[in-house]
Amino acid sequence: MIFGARDDGIIVQGATGTQGAFHLDLMNEYARGAGGRGVVAGVTPGKGGQVVHGVPVYDSVREALDVHDAATSVLFVPGKAAGDSIMEAAEAGIELVVAITEHIPVHDTAKAIAYARTCGCSVVGPNSPGILSPGEIKLGIMPAQLFSRGNVGVISRSGTLTYEVVDELTRAGIGQSTVVGIGGDPIIGETFVDVLDRFAQDPLTDAVVVIGEVGGNLEEEGAASTDLPIVAYIAGKSAPPEKRMGHAGAIVEGGEGDAASKIRRLEALGVPVAAKPSEIPTLVRDLL
Amino acid sequence: MKLLEYEAKEIFINHGIAVPDGVIITQPEEMVLHLHTLGPEVVLKAQVDVGGRGKAGGILMAKSEDALATANRLFGASVKGVPVDKILVEERLPIEHEYYLSITIDRASKQYLILFAETGGVDIEQTASLRPEAVRKALVNPLLADVPPFLLRRLVGTAPKAIAPVINRLYRVFCEKDALLAEINPLVTTPDGVFAADAKLIIDDNALARQGIHVNRDQTEREREAERHGFSYVELAGSIGVIGNGAGLTMATLDLIEHYRGRAANFLDVGGGAGRERVTHAVQLVAGMPGVQVIVVNLLGGITRCDEVAEGIVDANIPQKVIVRLAGTNEEKGRNILQEHGYMMLDTMEEAVRAAVEAVQ
Repeated sequence: MIFGARDDGIIVQGATGTQGAFHLDLMNEYARGAGGRGVVAGVTPGKGGQVVHGVPVYDSVREALDVHDAATSVLFVPGKAAGDSIMEAAEAGIELVVAITEHIPVHDTAKAIAYARTCGCSVVGPNSPGILSPGEIKLGIMPAQLFSRGNVGVISRSGTLTYEVVDELTRAGIGQSTVVGIGGDPIIGETFVDVLDRFAQDPLTDAVVVIGEVGGNLEEEGAASTDLPIVAYIAGKSAPPEKRMGHAGAIVEGGEGDAASKIRRLEALGVPVAAKPSEIPTLVRDLL
Repeated sequence: MKLLEYEAKEIFINHGIAVPDGVIITQPEEMVLHLHTLGPEVVLKAQVDVGGRGKAGGILMAKSEDALATANRLFGASVKGVPVDKILVEERLPIEHEYYLSITIDRASKQYLILFAETGGVDIEQTASLRPEAVRKALVNPLLADVPPFLLRRLVGTAPKAIAPVINRLYRVFCEKDALLAEINPLVTTPDGVFAADAKLIIDDNALARQGIHVNRDQTEREREAERHGFSYVELAGSIGVIGNGAGLTMATLDLIEHYRGRAANFLDVGGGAGRERVTHAVQLVAGMPGVQVIVVNLLGGITRCDEVAEGIVDANIPQKVIVRLAGTNEEKGRNILQEHGYMMLDTMEEAVRAAVEAVQ
């Protein structure tokens, strides 16, 4: 595991919303199966005293941590309040915030991540599907039934495309150590470089699948920073320039960050790049 | 969303950044009222959202006495296919030197990146490659309300000191207006001071509401309709409609269509947590696009529940063939609903895409 541990308590910020409550329940179901502690408290300002799927809700992260022991927060708070909630968690002593929220204004994200860093708090996301270490811990919204335990790490800017690749890996008999959705926004907390560094120190991980997409150059930067064997896939080969492809960060701007140049640079670093998701398991097996 | 030059300049004025004297006109005759205030020579700048506007004939110089005729000519023209309905008429500045100034968000460092170059008016990339020593960079921690003076000194270097406060004012504009890009190219010096001769601001689409912007002009009407339903939507030119959940999976679906020599008609990401009604709207929206012969629905449930998706597809009840691939949360329920209603269900996205490409051949 590269993030959190089975015995860590988890809080959910935005626990009383539809998605927060739904996934709080699924996270706890997973924790029961894995023998972990799961979600110990929810936080929604103004909703303190409520109970969601048996979990008590507090008005603030501080109040929740006065009563419960937790190191990680999974965040479902709506976009305009999410930056504030990240800072609230960091200030209260949370060590890892996994921000599921999409559509956070990018200046809010930049400020919240800079602030969290001053508190020693890591941020995964925003616009992330979360983190899943099969059989150990689930933080976020990934559909657990597709995962299997093994020695391959996965890092992705996407949600559902990650599930697609994990499904392909599982069907091919290749299990995963930890799967991390780093988020589809232009500014994210943990980048490919950071997560690859964590994988490099993880004895359970022997190879990593990097799932990137158009926009920026952080995939190449990550690949250049590590000695780990990696396989890459880049989505958006057919993306027209200057159009935002769903993710706020998925845009070919000023002729930069297009799929072809990313693939070229990755291949120049000796990284095998899959032409389609179904090729990934074969390329991974070649590395192991 | 990109602001037009005159809109960005109004914001600059409110933040104490000097711009040339000028007026915005919507018909040539309005020019007559203002000419006496703008000096013997004027610059007419078409207010169109087009890159390379100057080279495309969107910026014209005129002597006062020819200004009306020039305005007539520019209003009748189009710049790279975009009709001109507003012109910014400005005094012609006695320029001593041109500089380049921009602020963006740097993905790698997660900080604000200020670029200042001693050569303005041209492509910054060109300056950076020809004279790298002329381009200076500074990264600013997003928690800072102002650019620290030591960074301003580093950026300005040997250029006039009066540029430093302009950099800080642009930084404040960048932060307060939720900008993804704030650019002045060229920033000019004259005997009277420092002026923003041009102005570019791109506002974060996720912050338009709090900036009081209610219509995103960068979108087509159909893209706006899609956004009202909570979709991300991009129009393309092919015959295979695409609906996916999640941007990455939807992009991968488009790429796979191209891989098998098909052509996608669109990109539509129904988003996380797509409910039954939203799926119905998505299927109907794509089915309503001219030229769509078949629709691939490729959904993996994470935050999306497959049973709701299946009901949404059935409710849409469209004439075109719909090829569905569903997997994830509440998968079996979704599968059962679709099978009951006779929809074509395939197990993998590759099978679904190949079936769609075959269906249009």
